[in-house]
Parts: sequence; structure tokens; C-alpha cells
Amino acid sequence: MNFAQRAVLVAISAVASLDGAHAAAPSAVAVPRHAALEAPNSRYRPLPRADTLLTGATILDGVGGRIERGDVLMREGRIVAVGQALSHEGVVVVDVSGRWVTPGIIDIHTHYGTYLLPQSAAEANLSDVLEESDPNVADTWIEHAVRPVDPAFSRALAGGVTTLQILPGSGALFGGRTVIVKPVPAVTIDQMRFPGAHQGLKMACGSNPASSFGSRGRFPNSRQGEVAGVRAAFLDAQRYIKEWDDYRAGRRAEAPRRDLKLDTLAAALRGELGIHLHCYRADDISNWISTLEEFGVHLAAVHHAAEAYKIAPLLAQKQVCTAVWPDWWGFKREAEDGIPENGAFVDAAGGCVVMHSDIPVLGSLLNIEAAKAAAAGRRAGLAIPEEHAIRWITSNAAKALGLESQIGHLASGMNADVVVWSGDPFSIYSKADLVFIDGAVAYDRHSSQRPSDLELGRTQKEPPR
Amino acid sequence: MTRWLAPLLLLASSAHAELIAITGADVWTNTADAPVRKATIVISGGRIVSIESAQPPPSSARVFEAAGRVVTPPLDAAATQIGLVEVASASDSDDRAVHGGPLGAAFDVSLGVDANDLTVQQARAAGVARALVFPGPAGNGIFAGLAARLNLAERADIVERARVALFVTAGGAAAPVAGGSRAAIWGQLRNALTEARSVGASPSTFKPRDQILNHVDIAALLPVLQKRLPLAVVAQREADIRQALAVGKDFGISVVIVGGAEAWRAAGLLASRHVPVILDPLDELPVSYDSLGARRDNAKILAEAGVTIGFTVSGQGIYLSYNLGPALREGAGIAVANGLPYAQALRAITQNAAHIWGDPVAAGTLVPGGVADLVVWDGDPLEPASAPVALFLKGSEISLRTRQTLLRDRYRPGSEERQSAPASR
Repeated sequence: MNFAQRAVLVAISAVASLDGAHAAAPSAVAVPRHAALEAPNSRYRPLPRADTLLTGATILDGVGGRIERGDVLMREGRIVAVGQALSHEGVVVVDVSGRWVTPGIIDIHTHYGTYLLPQSAAEANLSDVLEESDPNVADTWIEHAVRPVDPAFSRALAGGVTTLQILPGSGALFGGRTVIVKPVPAVTIDQMRFPGAHQGLKMACGSNPASSFGSRGRFPNSRQGEVAGVRAAFLDAQRYIKEWDDYRAGRRAEAPRRDLKLDTLAAALRGELGIHLHCYRADDISNWISTLEEFGVHLAAVHHAAEAYKIAPLLAQKQVCTAVWPDWWGFKREAEDGIPENGAFVDAAGGCVVMHSDIPVLGSLLNIEAAKAAAAGRRAGLAIPEEHAIRWITSNAAKALGLESQIGHLASGMNADVVVWSGDPFSIYSKADLVFIDGAVAYDRHSSQRPSDLELGRTQKEPPR
Repeated sequence: MTRWLAPLLLLASSAHAELIAITGADVWTNTADAPVRKATIVISGGRIVSIESAQPPPSSARVFEAAGRVVTPPLDAAATQIGLVEVASASDSDDRAVHGGPLGAAFDVSLGVDANDLTVQQARAAGVARALVFPGPAGNGIFAGLAARLNLAERADIVERARVALFVTAGGAAAPVAGGSRAAIWGQLRNALTEARSVGASPSTFKPRDQILNHVDIAALLPVLQKRLPLAVVAQREADIRQALAVGKDFGISVVIVGGAEAWRAAGLLASRHVPVILDPLDELPVSYDSLGARRDNAKILAEAGVTIGFTVSGQGIYLSYNLGPALREGAGIAVANGLPYAQALRAITQNAAHIWGDPVAAGTLVPGGVADLVVWDGDPLEPASAPVALFLKGSEISLRTRQTLLRDRYRPGSEERQSAPASR
């Protein structure tokens, strides 16, 4: 296969970037807040919408509830009511009897717009997935590389995804800031940006940073080197915070020199950025949780955690969300012990389990990923009803992004991100019929689909003449 | 769960002489487009005696109760690389392809197959009984080499047939090894076939200095020219698929398309030339400039045109060998969700590979008198969430234990290992 050589590019490989570092100029921003540059305001606007009542569905509310023959009422982009036989004055009524309704799916791990489709040989020399010139590129923001015409966005939407996070790759200890977006048609990233959502910080443990830099004769080239590097960087950031505190308190005459990497790490120390750690092995995960705890840093989620099941109680106790695939194993040493029951076992320990995609082909199949993971758990004797398994791609994912008060849950006051499925969402035969984002129909399977700019005018998709 | 075969019995050769009855399942035989409902399958001496709806089992038979289950022939992977790679990121456990050295067409991947490879163990326990394993993509030329057919019975030699097809990798990703253009791939392929044909016709006139190919590669190409081996062309783009068809016609050889993301655009021609397509039903995104025309109804369009289809599910390289069984079923389910009739999707993952790769004894059907190779599933096998309950090969139940199930049992909630896991540090 063409893919075989670049198999799992996103997950495991490091694509060298020879491009010079982009000078992310702080420009004229005066810096009383000594750490984070503020992300630009979102220019996202909801699509045209009408107040809508969905009636007669099997509803999985995203937090464990299930309603048969249930209704969902949406007004002005919010959910107003979820229940049975809701009244419906002045709203569009859509009869969805026999169909299923869930919250919009949330994917906390993608590389959309940077692992840009179609991939070509050009990306071997220049990849925007990660700035790889230094193990600490905390000063980079992935949003500066995202191309919204990537067809992966619209396919994810067609698979019921309404919110997704784009992260930098895993070849650096500090990979840079993440961005959370809605998969709506857009020309610039600002038009997709989830209003008010905080950026995250991508970190990576294990073989990827060590092999990426070690193979170039650089630091780090071992796991122990990685932990040392993380400690050194956070110590720097602690000093940096103190310098700014001293300056602002008048204990220091001259303003400290502004440092964009330390801005990000300082924001991480203050808990302003969700920390998302790429880490497969149980020993690594445990070590990194401890290391981060030394600096009071809490992990939002550990991603690709193939061995999470070996330390499920730890992950539950530390309230670290665990993002996994149901069935990846073996393709690299760190994944040798992956098992399909991984997610279910962490769930059984009380952990916050999330299914993530990482590769575009899975971005429209997260419902099936959850189906496989739940079925494996059931075969191992665990009770995992549909209304529980849906949490793994809705409310638990929202929690990992710090957005649980807005999305991932069908309840009054929540954003009206809703999927109408043709049937049981955990069946391979079911499809997302309607996808609402903020109360607007963002996808209708029975309407003609808007091709992305990339696909426009290309004859390959048209019937042959 | 009704497991009546004690482990010791599995070891006993007398298992073959036993009369076994699998009762109550819906059985897809691949001889009809609907299952035999609530069937009783009687097995004796490793062969199927009968498959009858709602028949009481023979009184002397051991009964495997399978009410509510589904029975199918085992999975047969049309194109995978199990047994050739254990840890893809470790080059010393990856024997899928050559990146240098003298072997091109003559690279025989069967010589690197490892029956103890975990990908084989995992595939077998997932209900895969047969597979074609292919080489490539090569780093030293257009020929990836010779593929092999595997039989995943629990034994040391799982290569059922070596040198089953010659693989050539076409398309933009392969162009660098041909000199930098996909056109050069076709030029080199045509030259190779021409040289091999002329040498084959009159070996005494063989003048090495006139040849690009070495003698071992010529020897590998001769069976292709004699139509004893198909030429398997890995290609996604319509234009490359049409080039492959032209090569097949001009040299009078059998061609199989592997990949075929845009094959639907040449469905009529593929059907008229009797060229099978082994495709990935999950293809939909334009992952490369060769597959801008990828669509989820590729399988449906090809099947409607009369093209024989098989499935290979890449999952960006991960599903291809590591999750072979579930991925094949997920692909077939996706194909059904996009219009392919159920029975055809099932055949694409249980029967068609044997046909496409020219197995001398066609497997993949459940018929009286046939070998009792079958899988009992705990639900619809085209739902990827389903799983095997039992795998029978030649009438014997095969253990579904794997390294993964042992890890599962070791760390199962409530287990001792789990209790001793660190609660905090």
C-alpha cells in the first residue's frame, strides 16, 4: 500500500521541518499579564438556524441518561428542554421517530488542517503538524498552520463531530498550543474557533521526542532525558513568573525579557492551559504525572494511553482523562500491550475515558470506535449500556477540553450541538442524518454536500463521461 | 457460554472422528444470498455432513449450542502483511519489503513469514483462517516481489502457497524508485515483461548486456507471462488503473488491482476484462493526489458492474496487519452501509480472496462434504463490535487465547495485578 511506509505518520513519526522558525511576534502587546498572549477573539458565527423541536427519538443524553420516544427543543442555539411530549409553539418540528439522538461528538485529538489532505511528497520536507527544530516549541500555536479547507473537517462533521481539538504533533516535549474548533465551512481559523475555549498545551513522552531528537544527535535521546528536560523547563517558568511578580510588585526595576516559550509554560503552571500529554506506557504515564505534580500541573488528558488499563485506579484518582483507540496495538513498541478492553477497564475504575481519532479516517467513525471499546468491555463482564458508552465521545471528551458546562450533554442551557442518527449510533449501518451546531443544521445527509475548496472543480468525484 | 471442548480434547486426534453438531445459529454458507436460519451443522471427520434448518442434532453428537449466533466461513484476507512484521517501528522485526539489494520481482516474501508473529496469533483468534501476504512497497525498484497465501492453522509452516502473485507498486508514491515519474513505472514494467518474454522464448539468445533485468527477476516474471501468476498492481488513480489494464491486454496477462480508490471510474472496463479489485471500503478522504476520487460506494459500483471485489483495510497502515479481522468486518459493514448487498460484502471477506488468487481448492463456502472451517460469531459479523465465539478449522475448535486475552485477564478489574497497581505516588 502507499500508506504502508508512512503508516501512522501522525501517531508515531516525526516529519522533519526544515522551514525556519516563524517569528511569532508579540508586536505591540503591552504585557501586564506576563504569560499568555490572548488567543484572538473567535469570529465564528452560527450558521442560519431556526428554533427546532426533534420528536420521538431514542435519546442518549451524553451523561448516562436515556429517554425513549423523547424530544429535544432547541431555541436560539441552546437546548431548552429534553423530555417526552414537549410542547412546540413557533418552532420547526422534525419527526425523528425510530431514530436516535445524541449530543454532538467531540474529538479531542486531531491534526486536521495541518496533516493536510491530500498528503503529498512535499510534506516529507515540510510538515505543519509540528515545529520540530527544538524539543521545546511551547511558543508555537498550531492554529497558525491550520488550513480550514482540509476535507477532513467536513467528513468529521458528517460523522457527527461538532467540536474538535487540533494539536501539534508528538515529536517534541512541549509541542505548542492547541486550538479547539467547530467543523464549519471557513476560510480562516478564526471563523472556526470555539468561542471562549481555552487553548491547550501539547506535551509528549516516550519514544517520539527521544527518537526525533536523538536521531539528530540532540537532546533528549532518552526517557530520563525527557523528564529532566520537562523539569528544567518548568523551573525556568517558575523563575520567570517570579521575575514578573517582582517587577510588578516594584521589587525589580527593569521588566524581565519577554520569552514566548516561558509565556506558555507559565500559563501552564497557572492552570490556564489544558495539558494534553501523548503517552502510551503505564510506567511513562505514571512518571509524567508525578513530574508534573512537582510543579502543581494537572493533566487534562493523556492521549494514546495504550497501557492505561494497567494503572486505571491511578488515572481515576488523579482525574486525568484517558484518550484511547479501542484496538490499536503493536505498531510500535510503546503499543505492544494495547488491548481492546483498555477503555472499558479504565471506565470501570471510575476514570474519564475518551475515544479519539488521531488519523483522519477515524474522525468520522468515533461512534464505531466507542462501539468496539464498549463491546470488548461487555465481553469482559462489564455492564456498559449505550447511554454510558456515549459518554466516551461526548461528555467525557467535553470534560477533557474544559467545556463540560457547554457541550457534550443534552440538557437545558447547553449548546444545541445535536446529532440525529438513522439508527443505533453504535451500529456500523447507522449514519448521522442531521448534525446541529449551535442549533443550526450544519450537515444534512439528504441534501447535496458542499465540497471543500480543495475538492471544488476536481472531476475525479464526478461520474465518468 | 457453552464450551464443551475441554482443553485436553483439543489435543486429542480423536476430535476428528467425533460427531459435532452446532445448533441454532443463522448460517451464511456463501452459496445463497440468505442464511440458513436456526440451522444445525453436523460435522464429522473434519468435514461438514449437513446444514439443515431446525433439525434436531444426531443423538450421538456433541452439541455446540449457538442459538442467536451467526456462523460464517472464516475470514480470508485478500491483501495483508501479517506474519511479516511484529513491531513496525523496529526494522529488525519488519520483513515486508526490500529497500536495496539485487532482488526485485524475485523477492519472495514467503521466506520471511513467521508463524509465531503476534499478528498471526491475533488474526487467527479474530476468525481469519487464510490470507494473502504481499511484499512492499520496495525501495529499490517498481517490483515489490512475490506474495504468498497463508493458512493460519496452528502449525509452524503456515505458508500454504508461495509465489502466488507478483506485486508491482504504481502511482505517485512509487514514482521515485522508477526515476521520478509514474510514467517511468509503466515504461519499466513494459520493458521487464518484454525482456522476460524474449528470454523465455529463446533462452539461448539471452544476452545479459542487453537486459535491464537480472536472471532471477526474469524467472519470476515468466509465470506471469504464462498466466500462471497474476500481476497485482497497487494503484489508486484512475489513470494508473487504466494503464494496468492496458498492460494486461497488451501482454495477455492476468491483472489484479490492489487499492483501487478510483476504480469505480473504470468499473465497466474492469468488469469486461475480468480484472478483480481489492479495495479499502473505508477510503473516502483524498488521502493523496492519487485518490482524489475516493468514495465510500466504490465497492457497490464495482460489484454492480460485475467486478469481483475483495477488501483490504488500511487504517493508515495500522489496521492492515494489526487489526486484520475486525478491520475486514468493519470495512464490509461500511460497504453495506453504502449500498453493497450484505451477502456480497460477506463474500468479499470470506470467499473472494481464494478466487482472486487462484487457490486450487476453493475455500470459503459451507457445504456438505466440504471442510468444516467456520466461525461462530456473537452477533452480526459485519458489526465490528461483534467477535468470534468459536473458530473451527477442519472440524476442531481452535483456541481463541492470545497474548491480548492473557493481558486482559491479568489486569481485569478486581484481579490481583490490578489491586497491586499503584494507587498513587
